[in-house]
Amino acid sequence: MSHAPHNAQESSFPHPGPASGKDAYWRCMEALEAADRRQEFPAGAPEFPDPVSRRHFFRIMSASLLLAGLGSTGCRRPEETRNVAGVDPGYTYGEPQYFATAMPSRRHAVPLRVKSIDGRPIKIEGNPRAPGANGGTDLHAQASILGLYDPDRAGRFAVNQQTVSRAEALGFLTRHGADLGNGQRLAIVSEQTGSPSRQRLRECIEKKLPAARWCEFEALDFDNAEAGASLAMGRPVAPRWQLDQAETILSIDCDFLGAEENAAAFAGQFSQNRSPSKPKDSMNRLYCVESLFTLTGSNADHRLAVPPSMLTAVLARFAMEILGAKSGTLTNLAALAAPASAFSNWIVPCAKDLIVNKGRSLVMAGHRMPLEAHALVAAMNEALGVNGKAVVYTPALIQNNLSMAKLLAELNSGSIDTLVILGGNPAYQMPAPTDWAAAQARAKTVLRWSLYEDETARLPGVHFFPATHYLESWGDARQPDGTILAIQPLIEPLFDGITDLEFLARLAGLEEALPQAIVRATHHALTGGDEAAWRHFLQNGCAADSAVKPVSTIIEQDSVAAAAARLSPGNRPSTAALDVVFYRDAKLDDGRFVNNGWLQELPDPVTKLTWDNAILISPATADLLGLARTNSSEPHPIIEMTLKGRTVRGPVLVQPGMADNTLGLALGYGQEASGRVGRGIGFNAFQIRRPDALHYDFGATIQRTGQSAPLAMTQSHWVLEDHGIIRENTLQGFREKPRFAQETGSSRPADNPSLYPNPLDTEKNSSGHQWGMTIDLNRCIGCSACVIACQSENNIPIVGREMVFRSREMHWLRIDRYYIGSKVSPRSVTQPMLCQHCETAPCESVCPVNATVHDAEGLNVMVYNRCVGSRFCSNNCPFKVRRFNFFDYNRNPPDHLYDSPLASQAGGQSRLKQWLKNPDRGSLPEKDYELARLSKNPEVTLRMRGIMEKCSFCQQRLQRAKEEQLIRSGDSKDTRIPKEFVPPTACQQACPARAIEFGDLSDLQSKAAGQRASLRNYAMFNELNLRPRVTYLARIRNLNPQMPEMEGVV
Amino acid sequence: MSDVFPKWTNRLPRDLALGGAVLLVCVTAGFAYYFTPKYTRQGYQPIQPVSFSHKTHVAQTGLDCRYCHHSVETAAFASLPAAATCMNCHNQVLRSDPRLEWVRRSAATNEPIPWVSVHQLPDFVHFNHAVHTRRGVGCVECHGDVSQMDEMRVAQPLSMAFCLECHRDPAPRLRPLEAVTETQWQFVPAATNLSTAQTLEARRDFGRKLIRDWNIQPQTSCNTCHQ
Repeated sequence: MSHAPHNAQESSFPHPGPASGKDAYWRCMEALEAADRRQEFPAGAPEFPDPVSRRHFFRIMSASLLLAGLGSTGCRRPEETRNVAGVDPGYTYGEPQYFATAMPSRRHAVPLRVKSIDGRPIKIEGNPRAPGANGGTDLHAQASILGLYDPDRAGRFAVNQQTVSRAEALGFLTRHGADLGNGQRLAIVSEQTGSPSRQRLRECIEKKLPAARWCEFEALDFDNAEAGASLAMGRPVAPRWQLDQAETILSIDCDFLGAEENAAAFAGQFSQNRSPSKPKDSMNRLYCVESLFTLTGSNADHRLAVPPSMLTAVLARFAMEILGAKSGTLTNLAALAAPASAFSNWIVPCAKDLIVNKGRSLVMAGHRMPLEAHALVAAMNEALGVNGKAVVYTPALIQNNLSMAKLLAELNSGSIDTLVILGGNPAYQMPAPTDWAAAQARAKTVLRWSLYEDETARLPGVHFFPATHYLESWGDARQPDGTILAIQPLIEPLFDGITDLEFLARLAGLEEALPQAIVRATHHALTGGDEAAWRHFLQNGCAADSAVKPVSTIIEQDSVAAAAARLSPGNRPSTAALDVVFYRDAKLDDGRFVNNGWLQELPDPVTKLTWDNAILISPATADLLGLARTNSSEPHPIIEMTLKGRTVRGPVLVQPGMADNTLGLALGYGQEASGRVGRGIGFNAFQIRRPDALHYDFGATIQRTGQSAPLAMTQSHWVLEDHGIIRENTLQGFREKPRFAQETGSSRPADNPSLYPNPLDTEKNSSGHQWGMTIDLNRCIGCSACVIACQSENNIPIVGREMVFRSREMHWLRIDRYYIGSKVSPRSVTQPMLCQHCETAPCESVCPVNATVHDAEGLNVMVYNRCVGSRFCSNNCPFKVRRFNFFDYNRNPPDHLYDSPLASQAGGQSRLKQWLKNPDRGSLPEKDYELARLSKNPEVTLRMRGIMEKCSFCQQRLQRAKEEQLIRSGDSKDTRIPKEFVPPTACQQACPARAIEFGDLSDLQSKAAGQRASLRNYAMFNELNLRPRVTYLARIRNLNPQMPEMEGVV
Repeated sequence: MSDVFPKWTNRLPRDLALGGAVLLVCVTAGFAYYFTPKYTRQGYQPIQPVSFSHKTHVAQTGLDCRYCHHSVETAAFASLPAAATCMNCHNQVLRSDPRLEWVRRSAATNEPIPWVSVHQLPDFVHFNHAVHTRRGVGCVECHGDVSQMDEMRVAQPLSMAFCLECHRDPAPRLRPLEAVTETQWQFVPAATNLSTAQTLEARRDFGRKLIRDWNIQPQTSCNTCHQ
């Protein structure tokens, strides 16, 4: 695809070439430097993975097809039985049921409403009945359903890795618990929990075992905000941000749209005030100071990249500006802020804007910032007059926990005999020099409860208890506002696990060990609710009016001053002493989702990296260190990074917009004991993380190894080339030119003369609905929850790292991330890209077998049974949204995804024989197959090898809604689905920011039709006369004219 | 002459005949397999674990379909009755009949009875009973006259062509909602002494009226059934 000939060829149909220079949107570094070398597919895209040649591939393909044909003609359809229960089970086979539950996070939980069909959880949605919830979810909640069906999850009780029976293991637990005395030699290490039942259980256990030591362990915790606020207020309080109340927001390394806890809720609040539909509407403004390039930074109106060692100085400078006269007690602020003077042209106007909007402006600091910084932030928010508005304080729970350091000391001194480890994975997350493994070995009895037999469970002598997934468990949790959420099981434990509540109750020998009874008792104790209230609690998923009342707080100036005095300005980093940021991975979190294929294959929202982690570095630093690549086919150099005497090796990924002289390391990778999906992927950044520098560290050096490795990044895949793919403007520009979105890009009239009338034009009049979608680029934050939601709803397989290299990822919905501006401080835009359901779809006219056709309601439909896999449609698709099944991803185990039936022998048994015996199962192991059968959405057909697929606008949901309407209508004329019954698509439902609106365009009252009529609405590729059913709302940035251009970073 | 017809041509007629025969067998077998009711399962009549007779229950006893298939008007799946449903009557009728031994046991112990599935669509086909029964398609249209079947069998081909035939032209197959489960319902034209062709046309007119009154628009796009 080269652009030079465009002008020569096209005289009557002006095809705008790509913009260049300052206004060009670009996706990856190499593209910026060599735009003309871009290719539609990466090198080797159509090739068979090594070592089998393409020819060999065809040979075995044809042979296997032949054999498959022989096999299937030889038999009739098997006799099937319907085993009808003797007593009516009370539900109708095949009809979905919905249950309210919640997915526990660290201190809180995400309220959920889970769809279950025939007793199997199928799809996770947000629970709109929870207070403050909008029905959206984050990507982890969406992906967690795959964890339920993970065949590699722990499924056995074990002692020293030898399987024991459940009865034996539980018997041991009870006996051992009885011998604990007063708990003098017992320590319980648990991951954080916000469960009221766990809290109550702990109180019960503390009565029985008063001397037991409790320790909370999280590799990444988010408690600094709470600790800092408590310090500033002189009482234990937890700050709760309410972004919908704030108009001007300053984030200081606070990735509240990505890596902070409850990011989905923040996204919902943030986007509420982010979408001006008329020029005179207002919108919020986000300033962001950060070291990495995060989602929050890419959504910011003004962004400043500073290395972590400068963050304190920047914060202090803001404190000086905002606290002003009040800062009399804060004597050292000026000294602290001195290194930030280089940024004062950015900080001063920003602070002024915050002060001008007093009462509607909010300062936020991220979990990586020290607690003293959070104390300063609390003081700033008080000065800005937002206490009780954009930030409220609720009473915090005080727990008498042992710190990890003390626990380690006690373990090493031999004063702990019994060590209970609930969740977490300390052996992986605390390697040398902390050396958890050695400390754990000092305890005589180690009881380990977790979802996977991980590194910690595999240490010698461990008594292992498999945990239940939250979809199999009874439990409870609290929302950030204190509302009690119910966790109820949707399915019996698939792998014989037990819940944490039962485990603890049995250990302590409590009378009540049934988890449901424990939760119920807690509910009764907290709300005084009776049976009806309990039913209500389970039905709604939350206890009504159980939110915690905010408390009024007063800043203690002295405490803040004392806290500020403990802060010290950092030293500016250099290439010889680099700053390091350890960050929470957008996908794997701290490693807990390592065996989740959906998350592994999801392109990171910012870097677009899959199946790996990398050492992030800024372009300028990469140039200085000689690590920059010149084109996309070059592998990424592997470097050895040394930090305080310890080293780690990993590939370098150049991230535009990052602070210079800073390295970003994602945690959670490099696990050796995980399941088949996540084993050995990436490098373990915990190896160089020190207990006293958990988030930022300083003084790292790097060394080139001379080696290099390719990284499976999707940012150069499915490239669209046109000017006007993304349309954006400033709020000011929108006010001056409200129709800028339609006026940008190609101005070709939408109606081309055609020899052939489009049948849809006439069908439109008689058909009940015309489906369409709008996507608001201003609301979209790029979090990718929609991608996982789509994958979950539509049975989309994962293809593995090898195939991502070849641009064969199967996501029906992808998020394109564009940069604009310089490499140093680019702005970024995210654009969800899915089948646009063009009314004049180019894919349809090239299909040789009519496998992709239009229906009367405007859907571009894929007919899998007709598809012969010519891939012409994909070639002709201007949006590059069609996905081809190069392999039988559904019939191969995750570690042998690309094997054909003839490729090799699996476990002695002939693969081919197995394929012929049960073509549905293919070469899946029995357990995988049974679980896969359970996990798939039964309303969506599974696609086999050689089939094209793409977004269907969740036609199964539309079809169900239509059927339900027809059932309701009976012998009346009301066959049109009323607005309130139009189903959301999976992506729309999952979106926490409400960026996606789907609906009936022929119903002018529908939201989608309303958005389509918006001033900001635009369709892509006007000049091709595609008439897409998906349109976008142009992005508006609310710039502050006083601010400097986003250039001039350190 | 040997140059024109090499020796192997001697075998040619025989080979051609043999090859032709093999081809003929393959084509015939292919047709027999793929294009006959056997392939579509029309006439399939498996032996059920309990010798339940629809004839007895529908024609003789006069049970309505919905008594046992209770979700046929509300859900995609029409439901098979639990043994407890049978026992509603059979705790009075034929209380100790040995043929009902399994049913009694099932109702008492909840042990399932493995009824053999008779009507079965491929997994890539989505069918919803309720949409049809609530919009005037009688049970007999697809299931035949169940009231005359002792052992249940597949009465219609249930192939895609069969479905499309009705979706394209539903008029002669629609009936009032109250008659949907009646196996013996007949359209009675208002006028008498009509010829067969006229009766059919009157039937069609009646269907057209329902189509208008109920706004019936059977979908024929692929995604109606294949999702």
